[in-house]
Amino acid sequence: MGKTMIHKIIERSAGREVKVGDRVWCKIDLSTARDFGGANCVLQFLDVTDRKGKVWDPSKIAFTFDLQAPAHSEKVAVNQKIIRDFAKDQGIEKVFDINWGIGQHVLLEHGHVKPGDVILGTDSHMNLLGAVGAFATGVGNTDIVASWFEGTNWFRVPETMKVTVTGRFAKGVCMRDLLTKIVGDLGADGMFFKAVEFGGETIEAASLADRITLCSMVTEMSGKVGLIMPNGEVLNWLVERAGEEVRDRVKALAADADAVYSDDLHFDVNRLEPMTSCPDAPDNVKRVRDVAGTAVDQVHIGSCSNGRFEDIEAAYKVLEAGRFKVSPKVRTIITPSTREVMRKCAAAGYIEKFLDAGIVFTNPTCSLCTAEHYGVLPSGDVGVSTTNRNFIGKVGKGSHTYLMSPMSAMATAVRGVITDPRDILG
Amino acid sequence: MEKTILRGRAWVFGDDVDTDLIYHNKYLAETDPKKMPQYSFEYYPGKEHFAKEVKPGDFVVAGTNFGCGSSREHAVYCLKYAGIPVVLAENYSRIYYRNAINNGYPVLFIKGISQAIKDKKIEDGDELEVDLAKGEVKNVTKGTSFHGDAVADLEKDIMAAGGLIEYLKSRAGR
Amino acid sequence: MGKTFAEKALGRAAGHEVKAGEIVTVEPDFCMSHDNSAPIARTFRKIGVKNVWKPERIVFILDHAVPAPSDDHAVNHKETRQFVAEQGITHFYDVSSKGGVCHQVMCEEGFALPGLIMIGSDSHTCTYGAFGAFSTGIGRSEMAAAWATGQIWFKVPESLKVTVKGSFRPGVAAKDLILTLIGDIKADGADYMSVEFHGPAIEAMSIAERMTLCNMGIEMGAKNAVCPPDAKVLAAIRDKARTDRWEALWADDDAVYAKELTYDLDNLVPCVAKPHTVDNYAAIDAVKGTPIHQAFLGSCTNARIEDLRAAAAILKGKEVAVRTIVIPASWKIYRQCMAEGLIETFLDAGCVIANPGCGPCMGNHEGILAPGEACISTANRNFKGRMGNKESFIYLASPLTVAASALKGEIADPREVL
Repeated sequence: MGKTMIHKIIERSAGREVKVGDRVWCKIDLSTARDFGGANCVLQFLDVTDRKGKVWDPSKIAFTFDLQAPAHSEKVAVNQKIIRDFAKDQGIEKVFDINWGIGQHVLLEHGHVKPGDVILGTDSHMNLLGAVGAFATGVGNTDIVASWFEGTNWFRVPETMKVTVTGRFAKGVCMRDLLTKIVGDLGADGMFFKAVEFGGETIEAASLADRITLCSMVTEMSGKVGLIMPNGEVLNWLVERAGEEVRDRVKALAADADAVYSDDLHFDVNRLEPMTSCPDAPDNVKRVRDVAGTAVDQVHIGSCSNGRFEDIEAAYKVLEAGRFKVSPKVRTIITPSTREVMRKCAAAGYIEKFLDAGIVFTNPTCSLCTAEHYGVLPSGDVGVSTTNRNFIGKVGKGSHTYLMSPMSAMATAVRGVITDPRDILG
Repeated sequence: MEKTILRGRAWVFGDDVDTDLIYHNKYLAETDPKKMPQYSFEYYPGKEHFAKEVKPGDFVVAGTNFGCGSSREHAVYCLKYAGIPVVLAENYSRIYYRNAINNGYPVLFIKGISQAIKDKKIEDGDELEVDLAKGEVKNVTKGTSFHGDAVADLEKDIMAAGGLIEYLKSRAGR
Repeated sequence: MGKTFAEKALGRAAGHEVKAGEIVTVEPDFCMSHDNSAPIARTFRKIGVKNVWKPERIVFILDHAVPAPSDDHAVNHKETRQFVAEQGITHFYDVSSKGGVCHQVMCEEGFALPGLIMIGSDSHTCTYGAFGAFSTGIGRSEMAAAWATGQIWFKVPESLKVTVKGSFRPGVAAKDLILTLIGDIKADGADYMSVEFHGPAIEAMSIAERMTLCNMGIEMGAKNAVCPPDAKVLAAIRDKARTDRWEALWADDDAVYAKELTYDLDNLVPCVAKPHTVDNYAAIDAVKGTPIHQAFLGSCTNARIEDLRAAAAILKGKEVAVRTIVIPASWKIYRQCMAEGLIETFLDAGCVIANPGCGPCMGNHEGILAPGEACISTANRNFKGRMGNKESFIYLASPLTVAASALKGEIADPREVL
């Protein structure tokens, strides 16, 4: 009987045969923490080891700063210092300080993520690294601390859901819309504890940015990880960053043709329309045109779900079609996911056009998404955002948020009310 | 387990209670677990007063997918250190589940409780009697009862050790 | 007997001749407030007047924490927007790429003009003296009263005349002059006074340099600080003056001063203000090698295109050794940095380029320090706890010194890297 990707990844890491439902101890390839949760990990580690502990392998630990980069509160400033000091003491060199951007993206760009890697992080969207075939998962501080002892942690071997996507996106429609549709169809617990394999012609042709978008939202369906084996340009990009070993891993870890799946879903995107998650839950899904005309106060484009260069470029194209003007009634904020993305936006000349249109372009960080940095909404305000959560009060007490694609978000910024991007793109 | 039959009041929540509702983003910088209970459920509509009024021994009762969203362990600490002895939900989102187990914090999987909440067969303030060992939950106020499954497999061993760190330490000692 | 600048400006506004020591009541030409507009509006409502006296004379510029990083900031901003709509205030710089640090925006948007009486609910309002304005910071209650009545009273200040000659040696900047001056006369050395900058070296300075000088007038206790409204100023305000009420005024040669000082730029060396007072002067040699954890290039004092160009020239092709936060003083400047490739230079050097605003300067956004940390900063204050933590340390210096220090991870002499 064939094996799924997660099955093979766990077997590789555990060094033994496993079956669905087994609890297994896996070797951890990378254990990461952010300026959120990182200080909690450090303090707990010091506490449970009577301040004498040494981490198992400093080269397999990374810290990233994205919750508040740079810090705007004393507490976070202190937390960041706790992390820096600990890293120095322990000889941990992978410290990506406040200038780098969103953790998962930075680690990916630096070649610290390979297919089949087992990766832990204090970020529930860690699993977006499944976009390159890594088994990455968000955990709490105790799990991180435990992994620092011997470089292992336990997992339940999950069932795998197969999602096949076919067709081509129409103009104004993109991967984010597919994802929003999937969240709406399956619900907040639609992937409960499962791994998901995304495949089909649409996925095989998708950019890394689109794959990241797709995998980042598995969390919003309570899935464990969404996996896509790198191919084509994505594979070349990854090999360039993470080395030739990536190719061997892809061969060894691809799912077998006769692998067994718990569910087999199929989506066709040919007739898909721009979609939105309405307040106050990601699975409260409608078509953008069903809520078109809703007045909004702020538009935010960015986050680990949709803060790649391609996302910002898609928004740029809509702005261009809207003659480089956004509505003065709306505060529009763009946050690139990483320094590399920001650098690319600068080189492409996009930042200048955004600024000329009145848009605030921030440094790379989680920004609005953590409700700790750029663009917290006051009570009564309505926001549009490309982030991944719109829970009650998530980005400001008493505010409400519609989640949508960068194209739909920019269309909304241009018109000042929720707008189907096809109305602007023509 | 020294005391397996617990009695207390119910605080009742719905399905898909996310971590921002349990413990909001804006308090993430807190590193002392004992200071976390003051922020519990601050953003849950109608339960803003939870942190002020909760008493040690009260129960948190919820539907499906409790704790979906963020990886923040704060969402476990804020209930544990408020003195909530056990969470009674239909089921738990995966990271929340791990975080609870890793802290030796008991969670019961209660079949049918999600629907019972919708049918008002269990409501805020109901007096509950919970037998942790047997997994029995009696609603003394309404005269109904539920059955809950405790964790099994490796999770049971981790719980028995008092949490993941304690489990690893005891395993290393063996 | 001749008149000082303050006597002329306040006399013009009062409509009669005045001299130092007199109390005058005048109508302000512009009233500026920032994120404190909302609390001022609350005070205003308590006065019981329905409408502000002249909505077109009020300028709101959000800069202290934008975009809002917390519920409180967000609600505060919203209150400001509501007040703007209710009162018909036309000069409002909300969260967008049109604004920046309030004082920079006031200057580049043509509000700061020669001879005007300008008040702001921020102590660094004295910056507009670089354009020959009589400008000063006031408190929130007084601002609320000014909105209601269109009147503000002043005691005509005595004046301090600072004559500057010579020229900056390489590695020395306007910030070194003002830190040296404050170090000499101390934080109360110009208490209540009007500080006038005179001399050929001032005439040779750019407006950006003059803004750095005037900005820090308050750090020696001055009511206002001012430079002559010369041809450079007139060229800068052409086509953008927001009113024609302005008039180029300057002190008479035979004006009477309470105190006169002379500086020769040829003798000036790079310096810093050590923690925890602005007048705690140290020449660079005395502090070279002091470890730092953060460098900050920003604020209303020193984040103009000229400052950022100077810093970028030092950072180009190199990598910073400590976290370095660059915050252009306005979006116009940010835009200019983009056009000149400076944003790329800073990014490649490993800096954070944050969106224009006050940043960490007063400890509520982008770059708060932890206990035990030291920051070298181009801002204007190094008071204990100013950047967020009582146990942290702030060294004030020029953009050149800050850039050189960022590269080394310790306080460094810019002359050694130029």
